[in-house]
Amino acid sequence: MTLHPISAPVDSASEFHKIQSRPASIELKDISVAFKTPKGVFTAIKDIDLTIQKGEIVALIGHSGCGKSTLMGTISGMTQPTSGTVIANGNVVKGPGPDRGIVFQNYSLLPWLSVYQNIYEAVDSVFKGKTSAEKREITEENLKMVNLWPHKDKLPGQLSGGMKQRVAIARAFAINPSILLLDEPFGALDALTKGSMHIELLKLWNLDNRNKTIVMVTHDIEEAIFLSDRVVVMNNGPAATIKEIVDVRLPRPRNKKDIVHDPAYMEIHDRLMSLLFDKFSIEDD
Amino acid sequence: MKKLLNLQTYLPLLFGVGSVVILMGAWWGISLLTNHEIPSPLMTWSVFNEMLATPFYDYGPNDKGIGNQLVSSLIRVFSGFGLGSLVAIPLGLLIGSNKTAFRLINPIIQILRPVSPLAWFPLGLLAFKAAEGATIFIIFVTSVWPTLINTAFGVASIPQDHKNVAKAYGFSRWKYITKVIIPFALPHIITGLRLSIGVAWMVIVAGEMLSGGVGIGFFVWDSWNALSLEKILSAILIIGTVGLLLDKGFDWLQKRFAFA
Repeated sequence: MTLHPISAPVDSASEFHKIQSRPASIELKDISVAFKTPKGVFTAIKDIDLTIQKGEIVALIGHSGCGKSTLMGTISGMTQPTSGTVIANGNVVKGPGPDRGIVFQNYSLLPWLSVYQNIYEAVDSVFKGKTSAEKREITEENLKMVNLWPHKDKLPGQLSGGMKQRVAIARAFAINPSILLLDEPFGALDALTKGSMHIELLKLWNLDNRNKTIVMVTHDIEEAIFLSDRVVVMNNGPAATIKEIVDVRLPRPRNKKDIVHDPAYMEIHDRLMSLLFDKFSIEDD
Repeated sequence: MKKLLNLQTYLPLLFGVGSVVILMGAWWGISLLTNHEIPSPLMTWSVFNEMLATPFYDYGPNDKGIGNQLVSSLIRVFSGFGLGSLVAIPLGLLIGSNKTAFRLINPIIQILRPVSPLAWFPLGLLAFKAAEGATIFIIFVTSVWPTLINTAFGVASIPQDHKNVAKAYGFSRWKYITKVIIPFALPHIITGLRLSIGVAWMVIVAGEMLSGGVGIGFFVWDSWNALSLEKILSAILIIGTVGLLLDKGFDWLQKRFAFA
């Protein structure tokens, strides 16, 4: 039985219930993050509680500087919460780990390593027990999955933005994490490339039987709706909190062209717009 | 059809010829002003040719060809420079990546760096009981600083992005050093080496004037004692040319290892 049946009714309350009943993948308990600055303590996020189920795609959305990347950092382990606990796969997060693959905002490929080596070094680092033949196989498989095998010997500097991001995604998938964390992954891409990257990401997620939990930070409403099961809307910082969690009960697979005409899509879009913007036009007088 | 006599193609050559003309003109002028006490380019040229005709003759300790002098100077420079780099690069990697090490060692560098390397010569004599060892020692001291400082600076300026990759994918310390730190710092390290070899080549001349024996610096001093200004001027040209070649070599390396 698939958890996201293709024939699910649009009013898929039952399907949603199933998502809710899956085991927790990530639990954020009362998370606050404060930074010391020369001007005093700056509280980025405050009292965040959020549970994300296994296999769920969740988008964190909010205005620039609202602390969504900081929140993401607490899950990846790159940022230590000032108070509260993050539990990922049943373990308290104390730092980055191979169960959580990270795709950074600016690709973060090592510019002196070829496309192949960029992935191989990550694989080599994570799968210490495997033979080098096995590690090479994993690298090859993941490069082929994002259609970059012909470009394996190029340096990142020779690739377009979209290709770089595919390398970064392949690298994150290559270590086979149960949780994938994407920090504004497509922010720097043009609209067309972005669209095909969305489909590519969902393809990879499907290939893995939708078992990977994906958390992504974005400021793109359409992207958030198209990809996720839930959209977490954050307040503006400082001391940002969760403003509202919007469920996206749209059946999968979703069609990029058709989905925008779905009344449910429009409803969610409107809701997110009104949560994110106070004004929709300039005043005339 | 493409114009064969395109001015653009010959421009670098014209500038080259121009600067030689300026140098020779100034030299000739000074020679005239000093009533040929400073020999003219033409007078120097014949001595220069004579020197280059038999570069490797050896008539005893005080009379060797310019080739012999150059080779022994280059061997000293590369020995000292090599040893210096062996110390400077690892130490630079350490103080660039470790704040405690930096704070402990940086004051020492700041105090010792401005000291003329020649001041170390007596200590070298004391330690090695020979002028040869002392000369290599001062070259060693000379070539440590630029490489050390540039390496440390390179390592310290690693962008957070690169560190994040290593952290997120759990790179081992060894992998972090070999796949992140060294490749990132390499262009900086080579810049340091380039500066080091340049200073070492300058210091060797002074060092050999002190140490005597054989070497291009000693040759200059010996020529002064023999009152052969033609030889001194020829030696200056040769020292300059070798220095330029050394610099070009490291410039090539720098371009070779520049990424992105």
